[in-house]
Amino acid sequence: MSINTRTRNTLAGRHPELTAQPLKPFGAKKARSREALAGILFVLPTLIIFGLFKFLPIFGAGAMSLTEYSLNGDFEFLGADNYVRLAEDPNFWQSLRVTFLYVAIFVPFIIAVSLAGAVLLDKLVRFTGTFRALLFIPYLSSFVMAGIIWTWIFSTDGPLNAALGSLGMGPVPFTSGPQLLVLLSLAVVSVWKGFGYSMLIFLAGLKAQPAEVHEAARIDGAGAWKSFWYVTLPLLKPVVFFVLVIETIVGFQVFDTIYVMTGGGPARASHSLIYFLFDEGFKFFDFGYASAIGVVLFVIVLILSLIQQRFFEGKDSK
Amino acid sequence: MTATLSTPTGGRHPAGRPAQSPAGHSPGRNTEKRRQRTLTWVLAVISLFTVAPLIAVAVLALSPADAPTLPYALPSSLTLDNIVRIFNVGEFPLWLWNSFLYSAVSVVVVLLTASMAAYALARKRFPGRNALLWAIIATMMVPVQATLIPTFILISKMGGVNTLWGLILPTLANAQAIFLIRQFVRDMPEELFDAARIDGAGEWRTFWQIVLPLIRPVLATLAIFVFLWHWNDLLWPLVVGQSDAARTLTVGLATLNTETASTSNVMAATLVSFIPCLVIFALLQKHIVASITHSGVKG
Repeated sequence: MSINTRTRNTLAGRHPELTAQPLKPFGAKKARSREALAGILFVLPTLIIFGLFKFLPIFGAGAMSLTEYSLNGDFEFLGADNYVRLAEDPNFWQSLRVTFLYVAIFVPFIIAVSLAGAVLLDKLVRFTGTFRALLFIPYLSSFVMAGIIWTWIFSTDGPLNAALGSLGMGPVPFTSGPQLLVLLSLAVVSVWKGFGYSMLIFLAGLKAQPAEVHEAARIDGAGAWKSFWYVTLPLLKPVVFFVLVIETIVGFQVFDTIYVMTGGGPARASHSLIYFLFDEGFKFFDFGYASAIGVVLFVIVLILSLIQQRFFEGKDSK
Repeated sequence: MTATLSTPTGGRHPAGRPAQSPAGHSPGRNTEKRRQRTLTWVLAVISLFTVAPLIAVAVLALSPADAPTLPYALPSSLTLDNIVRIFNVGEFPLWLWNSFLYSAVSVVVVLLTASMAAYALARKRFPGRNALLWAIIATMMVPVQATLIPTFILISKMGGVNTLWGLILPTLANAQAIFLIRQFVRDMPEELFDAARIDGAGEWRTFWQIVLPLIRPVLATLAIFVFLWHWNDLLWPLVVGQSDAARTLTVGLATLNTETASTSNVMAATLVSFIPCLVIFALLQKHIVASITHSGVKG
C-alpha cells in the first residue's frame, strides 16, 4: 500500500472544519514530524536487532565466503577461491548428492502421507477432532526427540527388528546399511514428525472445495478413486504446490535427525549439505569455506522461493 | 497465496453429509455407515503409528531400570525412579532451565518488539519505512543455516559464546512475527486511532491499550509457535552453547543419546522434554489448528 493514497490521520486532515485555515500547514507539519518520530522509536528495537543479527550476518556470509577466516579473527581475502575449492571437493558433491537424494525420497513421501491423512479425515464424520489430534501430535516433538525414539525403534534389538525377527527376517541395519535404506529411514522419522502440519493445510484445502462438483461427479457415476483423481486432486493443485515447495525447503535443511541418528554416516552416506557446513565450520573451523557452503544453500532456497512466487503471481493475474 | 487456504469452514459439510444419506433411503445409509466404520478403523491404525512411538517413550521412561526390555515384554510395574534420578544426577535440571529461558524470554521479547514494529510499519509514516519493511520481508528468504557462521563469529566477538544472552539475542529477529502482526494492525479501522487521538491518548498508550488488546489472537498463536521453535531448536544452541552454562535440553538430549547413557535415562529425559509441548497442545489445540489452516504459520 502506498503512503500517498492513504488519508491523513491527523485531526486537521480528517476534520478540516475544526481547524482555522492559516494554522493548518504549521499544525500538520508538526503532527507529521511527531508521527515520524513515534514511528522511528517504535521500530528502533527491531531495527537494532535486525541490523545486528539479520542484515549484518547476511552481508557477512557473502563477504566471509570470499576469505580465509580463522578463529582468532584474522582473515585473508581469497576472491572466489572457496567456490573453486567447493567445485573440486568430492565431499561437497557427495553432500549435495545426499541432500538431493534425501529430498527426492522425503518430499513425495510426506506429501503422500499428509494428503492421505487429510482425505481420510475429510471423509470422516464422527471423532474428526480426536483423530486429527492423534495424527498431529508428533509435530509437537523436536527432531532430536524424534531421532532418539526412532534410533531405538530402528536399533538391532529394537521393536522393528524384533517384529522382523519373529517373521524370520533381519536384523535390518536401518541406520547403518546401504545409503538408500539409511536415507529412507531418516525420511520416515521426518515424515512421522512433520506430516501433521501439511495434513492440516491439505485438510483446509479439501474443506474449501465446493460440494457441488463432488456431487456432480458422483451422479455421473465416478467412484471414490476416480472422483479423487479427476476432481479432488486437480482442484487441490495450488495447495499441493504450496506444500511441495515448503517441504522441499524443509528437506534441503535436513540436519537434526542426521546429527542424532547417523552422524552423517555410514561413510558419508547421510552427510547432508547442512551437515557438511556444520563439519567444516565447527569441526575444522574453516569459517570462510563453511560460509561459501551457506551461500550455496541460500541460492538453492532462493530459487525454490522464486519458483513459488512466480507460480502464485501467475495464478493471481488470471 | 493463502487465498486458497483461507476458507477452511467453507460450508462443504457443516453437519455431516446430509446429501449422501437422505432420510428414508436405508440402503444408502447402510453403505455410508459401513464406509464410516471402515474409515474409523483405517484412521485408528494410522493413529497407532503416530502415537505408539510416544507411548513407547513413556513406558520406557517409567519402567524400572532392571525391567525386561520392550519390545519383548512389558514391564510388570511402572515407577517414577528414572524421572527422579535424572533430576538429581548431572546437569539435566540446568538444561531444562536453559531451554525454558531460551523459549520464554524469546517469546516475550519477540512479541513485544514485533508488535511495536508492526504497529509503526502499518500505521506510522516515517522516512525509510517501506525500505525497512521490504528488507525485513526479504530476510525470510534467507535460511538461518546460511548465516550460521557469521552470526557465530559476531556473537563470539561480543563474548556471547556459552552464555544465555549469546544464545537468545540472535533469535529475537523474527520477520514472520512482524509480517503477521502487521497484517492485523493494517486491517484495524482508522476511526479507532482517531478516537484515541481525540481522547488525547499518547503514542505509547494507544499502542498499549488499543493495539495490543486487539491483536491478542495473533499474539497467542505466535506465542505458541515461537515457544515451540525455540524449545525444539537444535543447530544454533548446539553451536553457541557447548558448555553446560548455556546448553539447552535438545543439545543435552542429543549428547546423552550418543554417550553411553542408559535407555531409561535418555527416555526419561525425552519424556520430560515433551511434556510442555503436550500441555500447550492440550490447552490450545483449537488455536494451533486454526492458525495453520488460516495463515500457514510455518514451524
